Amino acid sequence: MPFAGVDIGSTMTKAVIVDGQGIMMASVIGPTGAEHRHLALVVMDETTKKAGIRFEQLDFIVATGYGRINVPFADKQITEITCHSRSVRTLFPTARIIIDIGGQDSKGIKLDAQGKVTNFVMNDKCAAGTGRFLEVIAETLGIKLTEMGELSLKAKDFVRISNICTVFAEHEVTTRLTEGATIPEIVAGLHEAFAGRVVNMVRSLGIEKDVVVTGGGAMNIGLIKAVEEKVGFRLLVPPEPLLTGALGAAFMGKDLLARGVTPERERRLEGVTFFK
Amino acid sequence: MSDDQEYYAGLDIGSAFIKAVLIHQKKIVAYEMFSSGGRYKEIARRVLDQVLTKGHVSLDKLSGIVVTGIGAESAPFQARQFSDISCQAAGCRSLFPSARIVIDIGGQFTRAIKLTAQGRVANFLMSEKCATGSGRFLQVIARILRIKIEDIAPLSLKSQKPVEFSTNCAVFAESETISRIAEGAHMEDILAGVHRALAAKVAVLVKGLKMEKDVVLTGGGSEDVGLVSAVSEALGVDVLIPEQPRLTAALGAAILAKEEKAKTR
Repeated sequence: MPFAGVDIGSTMTKAVIVDGQGIMMASVIGPTGAEHRHLALVVMDETTKKAGIRFEQLDFIVATGYGRINVPFADKQITEITCHSRSVRTLFPTARIIIDIGGQDSKGIKLDAQGKVTNFVMNDKCAAGTGRFLEVIAETLGIKLTEMGELSLKAKDFVRISNICTVFAEHEVTTRLTEGATIPEIVAGLHEAFAGRVVNMVRSLGIEKDVVVTGGGAMNIGLIKAVEEKVGFRLLVPPEPLLTGALGAAFMGKDLLARGVTPERERRLEGVTFFK
Repeated sequence: MSDDQEYYAGLDIGSAFIKAVLIHQKKIVAYEMFSSGGRYKEIARRVLDQVLTKGHVSLDKLSGIVVTGIGAESAPFQARQFSDISCQAAGCRSLFPSARIVIDIGGQFTRAIKLTAQGRVANFLMSEKCATGSGRFLQVIARILRIKIEDIAPLSLKSQKPVEFSTNCAVFAESETISRIAEGAHMEDILAGVHRALAAKVAVLVKGLKMEKDVVLTGGGSEDVGLVSAVSEALGVDVLIPEQPRLTAALGAAILAKEEKAKTR
């Protein structure tokens, strides 16, 4: 009994297929983007192939993420808040806070002892505190986003970045470079500023152990360390942080079927335009 | 020394430009402006030297000098400092005695200053340090559209249907611009949309001070006629623009230097 979850994020599209026991059979990650108009379909197709099943065999398909309404072949759309908390409940039953750092937004989710969502906060208004902040500045520094974490660990100290605004921080970074700061020190400073922004956002929820970090931001070891410094304890990170939403979506489909909900309408396996 | 021999200088060390104004008998005799390039001390010295040379005055013959701006601490000499708010107010009220609101749209901030009927600063508000609240927003979008800053205004005036941005962040607006262009939006509509978004932020600041006429617009932003018309539309009044809108704070600094001197007599 396979179940699929498709998570269309602002930057990446992710798909996961799990079996009847909830064990992951396959996953695929591809970039979202205006030019990837048929991506949901392509990613789904690839994932079924990897799992060695046919699309028709899927018992339930749940779409999540900000582009979830653009998955015409999904049986149900569920918010990423619900899907994230669903997979975290399985992966880390002790979790009380989820910090999801995405490409163009970040979220804080509060869970009760049963793993239910009690509150959440979100920033999608300002690039600061989202993956976009690091992406923009990585480009300015001529380094790869994916190497920032390791790079920052080489710094003994960090350079304080006083600007919250990404545009102004970009300028500040070049000024610090001309003053002789090293790239690792600057990147460590960026992580420190980023962590401050994220922790401030989540503070209103009441920071409580355990804290799980998901999304692309969780793959940045330097950022994780900076957040740990701010909160004063170790954070939990799933083995594949990018897949948290898609995995939760697949679990939700499994839960729904177990409760007797069956997919209603016929699935249309076709590509869609994300951006109208 | 008699009044007709007195010269006063004002130096405004801003984040992007350093400006100096030399006044004599209430008249501007010389002014100068250079890009700071992050080298405040060196450029500040050069700007001042230039303005003194132009005015045929030596530094030790100056009756007074006041320094203002974000980099005032980097002044290459000992001088009295005044806040840029005070200087902006002094400069604008000398040019427009009827001014009650002064809006300064700079490269990093937008400030709105309320003046009393006597021309004193009653209150002021500053935008958050966010690129969408300043001229920087236009620079970011101009860069992505590959057009020059000076081409923004004439282009934007051709707009028939200004774009309404779904975001309040310059970084996100940059990507939105790309998708809007891909969807067929015209460049002029994007620029007019940026003007409107910026004007809306200005209007919020002015509302916080309670709108009163006349309104003076200064800073680099006031050199953009598209932005000026968007601001005047957002406020519902015509706005006054100084001839040299980037120099008003430096002018105010020179005026305050003169006033300070008068106090000591």
